[in-house]
Amino acid sequence: MDRKQCCVKLSVQPSRGLMDEKFIVLVQNALPGSQLTIRALHQCEDGHSWEAFGHYTADTTGTIDVSEDPSIRGTYSGVEQMGLLWSLRPIPGSKPGLRMRKKNIQTPMEVTISVYQGHQTEGFADLVPLSGVVVERWYMAPGVRRIPVTEGGLTATLFLPSGPGPFPGLLDLWGGGGQLVEYRAALLASHGFASMAIDYLTSKFTMETGKMVDNQYFETAYRVLQQHPQVCGSKIAMIGLSFGTSMTLKMAIYSEVIKLSAAVCISGSHVQPVEGSVEEIMGFFQKNAGKTRFNEKNEAIWRDLLLPIPTDPSLKADVGRLQCPLLLVVGEDDQNWPAQESALDIKEMMARAGNSHLLTVLSYPNAGHLIEPPYTPHARSSTFKTVEIQEKVMCLWGGQTVEHSRAQEDAWKKILFFLRENLYGDRNPTLFSHL
Amino acid sequence: MFRAHMSVTRIWQLIEKRMMSCISVHGKLPGLQRAVGEVRRKSSFRQSPLLTATPVRALIDEQISIKGRFLSQNYPVTVCAQMHSEEGDLWEAFAHYTTNASSSINLTSDHSVGGSYVGCEPMGLFWALEPALGSREGLRLRKRNVETPYMVNISLLEGHTSPSEGQRTELAAVTTERWYMAPGVRRIEIRQNNIVGTLFLPPGPGPFPAMLDLWGMVGGLLEYRSALFASRGFASLSVAYMGHKDLPGPQHIMSVGDSYFKSAFQLLQDHCQVDADRIGVIGLSYGVVPTLRIATTIGFKPSCLICINGAVGSPLLDEDGKSKMFESDQKHWEFDDRGYVSFRNVSLPDNLPPESKRKVENITCPLMYIVGEDDLCTASTENADVIEEALRSAGKSHQFTRLSYPGAGHLIEPPYTPCSRASLWKTKPEKLFTLWGGHPAPHAAAQEDAWKRILEFMETHLRR
Repeated sequence: MDRKQCCVKLSVQPSRGLMDEKFIVLVQNALPGSQLTIRALHQCEDGHSWEAFGHYTADTTGTIDVSEDPSIRGTYSGVEQMGLLWSLRPIPGSKPGLRMRKKNIQTPMEVTISVYQGHQTEGFADLVPLSGVVVERWYMAPGVRRIPVTEGGLTATLFLPSGPGPFPGLLDLWGGGGQLVEYRAALLASHGFASMAIDYLTSKFTMETGKMVDNQYFETAYRVLQQHPQVCGSKIAMIGLSFGTSMTLKMAIYSEVIKLSAAVCISGSHVQPVEGSVEEIMGFFQKNAGKTRFNEKNEAIWRDLLLPIPTDPSLKADVGRLQCPLLLVVGEDDQNWPAQESALDIKEMMARAGNSHLLTVLSYPNAGHLIEPPYTPHARSSTFKTVEIQEKVMCLWGGQTVEHSRAQEDAWKKILFFLRENLYGDRNPTLFSHL
Repeated sequence: MFRAHMSVTRIWQLIEKRMMSCISVHGKLPGLQRAVGEVRRKSSFRQSPLLTATPVRALIDEQISIKGRFLSQNYPVTVCAQMHSEEGDLWEAFAHYTTNASSSINLTSDHSVGGSYVGCEPMGLFWALEPALGSREGLRLRKRNVETPYMVNISLLEGHTSPSEGQRTELAAVTTERWYMAPGVRRIEIRQNNIVGTLFLPPGPGPFPAMLDLWGMVGGLLEYRSALFASRGFASLSVAYMGHKDLPGPQHIMSVGDSYFKSAFQLLQDHCQVDADRIGVIGLSYGVVPTLRIATTIGFKPSCLICINGAVGSPLLDEDGKSKMFESDQKHWEFDDRGYVSFRNVSLPDNLPPESKRKVENITCPLMYIVGEDDLCTASTENADVIEEALRSAGKSHQFTRLSYPGAGHLIEPPYTPCSRASLWKTKPEKLFTLWGGHPAPHAAAQEDAWKRILEFMETHLRR
C-alpha cells in the first residue's frame, strides 16, 4: 500500500452549500510539486453521470487551493474556484443533447469530489483516488416552505422564506418548454423573496381542456401572491426567461391588475402582437417557423423567427409605457431568441419615451440563451420540445462554456442586487459579500 | 485567540445581571417549535428586513456569518437563537446590537452590548445557548443522533429585549442546520469482539488515519466527536465502557478493563480502511485513564495521544483496569452551598493510589494535554504537572504539548457548543448535580482554540 496514500487530504468548505454559494476546494499534504487531478462526479436525477476535472501541481507546501491556483488543463483551465461545477459535462458515451435540470428541489445535488495521482483525463472509474469527499448543493435553504398552489385554477408552487415576513413577492416564469420548473424560485426564496413558480403552458387547466391560459391566469397568480398574509402586496416583481419574458413584459405594461415593483427579463424579446392572447403570441412565433435555420450539426436555430425587429408598434410590447425598473439580461451568442437585437430596440423605444432611467441591460459576449443560476453546467444545445411542436428537436442555445458560466455568475449576483434594491428598500444597497 | 484577559468575575456579573432583568415567566414551551412569547407582526418597517446566515448548513465546528440588512440607521436590535434539544428542552441565546450608518449588522465584526454575551463574538449565539427560563435544572446539551442536524432558528427582534420578555416584535428570521456529520461520512455500529462502539469513516477509498475516542464516566456512547473527526478525514471509533445496555455487568460500574480498550485499538488496526500505523487516542475526563494505559502497555504504539482534563491514575481500578463503583469512596467529594458536588480532589495526584499511576515516562509518542483551569471535576492542572515532570525527567519534553485555558471548565468539547457549568449526575437515591466548572466566554474560547489545535496535532502526527 502506498505510504503516501493516506496522507493527501481533500476538503471542501462548505460541504453543504446553496447552489449559488462558492466553495473552497483544498488539497493538503501532497508531495510538493506532485501532479494531481481534481475531479467532480455527479449523477443527476435521470441517471446520467456528469464529470469535470482539472490538472494541478501541488505547491512547495504540498497544497492546492482551487480558488487561487490554476488548472493547467481539464474541463476548465486557469484559476476557476467553481470550475468543478460549471464545467461538468456528460461522461463519454452519454446520450447527446443532455441538459441538467433538477426537478426535486427538496433534496440536494450530490457531487463527489476526488483527487487522483497524476494528470488523468479518462478512465476515472477504474482509478482509485487518493482522497474523496461528498458535497451537497441545495436549491432550498432550511426553513424555506414549499407550498403547492392550485387556487383559482393555478398550477404553481409558492416558496416562502423562513421568518415572519412580510416578504416581497416574485412571480417566476420559464419558457416555451412549459412544465412547473421550481429551482429558481426555491433559490430566490432562500434569499428572502416569496417566490411563486408558475406553469402557464402545461397547467392542469390546459392539459385538461386543451386551451391555453390567458391574462387572467397571471393576474390570479399575482392576486394570490399579493393577498398572502406573509407577502408585502406592494412589493411584487416578476422574472421571466425566454418566452417568460414575453409574458412578463405583457403583464408589466398592459395588465390593469398587476402592478410590479420590478421586472427581470432574461434572454427574451418584446416582439409580440400587442393585443394577442398567450395563444396568439405563440401562434405568431409559429407562423415564422419557416425561418428556422440548422447548423452543421443539424441543431435548430430559432433566433430569426422574430427578426428583423418590426417597426410596426402593434407587434412590440410598448416598453415606453413601463413604470417599473426593468433589468434585461442578454447573451450575445443567444441562438434561440434575438435577445441582443431586442434589447437594443427596447433601449431606443425607452429613450424616445423618456423612461430609459428605468432600464438596465446586462449584455454578455459569448453567453447563450439559458442564463440560469450559477455553477451548473452550460448546455450549448440540447434536445427540446416546445408545447407547440410535440416532437423533440436538437435546439442550439448558444454560448461558449467559460464565458457563459461567468455570465451566469455575474448576472445572478446583479439580479439579486436589483431585486433587493427594488423590493427590500431604497436605503443604501449594501455589499453582498458572499456572492 | 482565547480571551484570557477577560475577567471571570465580570462575566459572572453580566450573567447574573441578565438573569435578574428577565421579568416575565417564559411562555408555554412544550410542543412549540419556536416559543417566542407574544409576538407582534406589525413592526415599524413596511416590509421585513433581511436576516442571512452563511453557510446556512454548517458543520458544528464551522463559523456561520450572520448579517441583518435593510433596517434603519443606529437602530437597536436583538439577535436571538433558539433550538430544541433531542430531549425537547428549549435552549436560547440573545445579543443586543445597534445598526451602523448602513442600516445593517454583521455579527462577524460588530459588538454585542448586552445579552448572553458581549463584545465581538461571531459564534456567540451558539456557544452562549442556555436552557430557557423555567427549564429543568442541570441540563447538558449533547447530541445522540449525529445523522440529523440541530435546527437553530435565528431571529431578529426590534429593540434591546430578551427571549423571555413578552411583546417582542420579530423582524426577520433564518433557519440554520448544524451538523456533526459531513455528507458521505459513514456511520457503522460496532458490536464485535465484545466491543460496544460506533465507527465513523470519512468518504473516499482510504486507508485513513484513525482515532480511538474515549469519553468520561457519565457513560453511554457519545458519537459526536468521532463524527466530526470523520468529517475532517480521520476514521474514528468511539467506544462505550460503562453505562450502556450492551455492556456486561451493571451499568453504574465499569466492568470492562484493559483488554477491552486493547481490543478496540486492535479493531482499528485490523480494519482494512484504517492505516494501522497511524492511530491516535483521545480521552476526555476519565477517558484519559484508559488512554494512558494503552499508551504504556507493551505491544501498542499509538501515534499520538490527546488527554483532556483527566488523571494519570484512578483510585477505582483493580489490576485489570476494571473499576469499583465510583461512589464507593466519597471522602474527597466537596459540596457547594447548593449541594452540588465537585469531584476535583478525588484526582489530586496525592490522593491517587501510587500503583494506579501509569508510568507516563514510558510513552513513546507525542502527547497533548489540555487543561481547563476552572475544572471542578478533575485536578487537571496538577495531573498535567505530574505528566509534564515525568516526561521532562525522562528527557521527553519535546513529546509534550500543554494547552491551558483560564476560565475553562472540565468539558472541553468541540467548539461553538454551550458550556455546562454543572449538570445532573444521578437521580437515585436522590438527585445529585455535579460541578464541571467553566464560564461561558472563556470556555467557549478554549473550545474553539483547543479544537483547532487538536486537529492540527492530528494532522501533524497522523498524516505526515
